[in-house]
Amino acid sequence: MSRPDWIVLALTLVGIIVYGLYKGRATKDLDGYILSNRTIPWYMVLLGIMGTQASAVTFLSAPGQAYTDGMRFVQYYFGLPLAMVVVCIAFVPVFHRLKVYTAYEYLESRFDLKTRSLTSFLFLVSRGLSTGISIAAPSIILSSLLGWNLVWTTVLMGGLLIIYTVSGGARAVAYTQQLQMIIIFSGLLIAAYVVVHKLPSGVGLSQILHIGGKAGKMNIITTGIDGKGHGFDWNDRYNLLSGIIGGFFLQLSYFGADQSQVGRYLTARSLAESRLGLLLNGLVKVPMQFCILLLGVMVFSFYHFNREPVFFNRSQLELLAHTKYKDSLDLLSRKYAALEDQRLAMPAAGTDARLGEIDREKAGIKATIRRWLDDKAVGGDSNDTNYIFLRFVTDHLPAGLVGLLIAVIFLAAWGSIAATLNSLASCTIVDFHRRFSRRGLSHEREYRFSQLYTLIWGIFCVASAQLVYHLGNSLIEAVNVLGSLFYGVILGVFLVAFYRKRVGGHAVFISAILIEAGVIVLEMLSRKGIVPLGFLWLNVVGAVGVVLLSELLQPLMPGGKSSRAERPAVR
Amino acid sequence: MDKEKVPLFGKWSYWYILVIGFLVVCIVVFNYLTKHFS
Repeated sequence: MSRPDWIVLALTLVGIIVYGLYKGRATKDLDGYILSNRTIPWYMVLLGIMGTQASAVTFLSAPGQAYTDGMRFVQYYFGLPLAMVVVCIAFVPVFHRLKVYTAYEYLESRFDLKTRSLTSFLFLVSRGLSTGISIAAPSIILSSLLGWNLVWTTVLMGGLLIIYTVSGGARAVAYTQQLQMIIIFSGLLIAAYVVVHKLPSGVGLSQILHIGGKAGKMNIITTGIDGKGHGFDWNDRYNLLSGIIGGFFLQLSYFGADQSQVGRYLTARSLAESRLGLLLNGLVKVPMQFCILLLGVMVFSFYHFNREPVFFNRSQLELLAHTKYKDSLDLLSRKYAALEDQRLAMPAAGTDARLGEIDREKAGIKATIRRWLDDKAVGGDSNDTNYIFLRFVTDHLPAGLVGLLIAVIFLAAWGSIAATLNSLASCTIVDFHRRFSRRGLSHEREYRFSQLYTLIWGIFCVASAQLVYHLGNSLIEAVNVLGSLFYGVILGVFLVAFYRKRVGGHAVFISAILIEAGVIVLEMLSRKGIVPLGFLWLNVVGAVGVVLLSELLQPLMPGGKSSRAERPAVR
Repeated sequence: MDKEKVPLFGKWSYWYILVIGFLVVCIVVFNYLTKHFS
């Protein structure tokens, strides 16, 4: 990176920390620390919700996803708008009415202490682990592309935000997320402008989309049916049906029962402002994701007119250069460069047949390099999808803008991780420490313990990030799958609480444990290819499983056919 | 279930209509783009 890049990056990161410390300085008690004294306006709730959901991985891998697999990933968000309406009607008013700090407090008033503790524990486990992975994944990508030290990159990615999160709690998180989202959108807009600006004259958006479409990148809507008479592919990850149904359950669980999101909209001034933030999130998320994916297609078309790297992750090519494949790699690299020369020298029209040949030869070279990287003796990472966008940024953006785009990656990580740390600390203090403490805690001690737990969770997440590096690129997939393992069951418990009034605590508690074990087994069978099932469907299985099993178990429980009514007192 | 005012509209059914309509429009437009640029 050049000096202007370093200056832009440093100024942006330091600016956010100082702004967070400044905005969070008024926080002095638990209500302020966890819920910002419920003073946040709807537009900041909206930006907070978006900033929490969109991590660094979102901005790194979504353009790469469109580059390699096309735009069908946008269907993943089709369940979101409808889920937002259901969350606003069923979940939000209950949390506001009971004035809870965490979503799981409600479960004690509806069921019992053990159900509250179990769901809060499931949240802490899934979020604690996935946050470590969320820190490690972008750190690996940045360090291998820019040659930075991995440990220090991780500390920068997951550690610096602890300063303002510990100090200012939810208020600092909300205000910094607002600023972060503005910088992130500006950065991406500038990147899109540069792509179009660097195209040959006379090539516009329509041509870009035609180039992408011809290569199969404009597959925005897919049905999951292959057209060869095999019917619906349940293993297909992103299609219309899995996006609407699986996505609906995933988003319902994430926004209704995940404290990292519940904690954001409970900071709103009123119930109406919480709802407005959520509803508007449902309407802007699909177009936003569409635009980020479109950026990937634009980068793909950009490389139609410019030299495309044979492999986007440079460090893996360097790794291969120190193995028995060194000479073969040199040979293939030269052949690839010659093909690129031929391709770029071709006139625009009347060359489809030769162009197709060149593309096939290039694909063959790339496949060979991937096969070498997969060789156990090499131990490389053959997936370079998440390196595509950042490689484009570092190779083609002017000095200063590279620093801004790298700052965007950091800010996206910080916004998401800061909200998560705040929610992990909230659950630890409210659902466990305060709930199980025999002596009452003073307001001052509650506040101090909340700060301490934020610090401990921050250190835990950074430390766990250091332990998962060996997973490589599969880290990003792991984050998505890990959430789906737990979200369905947690949602199922809340659905029973809201809609199955006759079901009591014992039945739902046993159901949650059994179905959670079942979901984990199902995922293991799916990984071995025994049960073909995309991970989005695990959310449906978990939620529906808990509702049905608890209904079946309820008549067998002591006390019989109906549960206790909702009790208002919650500690 | 909830007595408080529904944001922007008078009834939740309008929000259902809005988001389902929004989704239908998205799917129709995206499907057109898929077909047009394939």
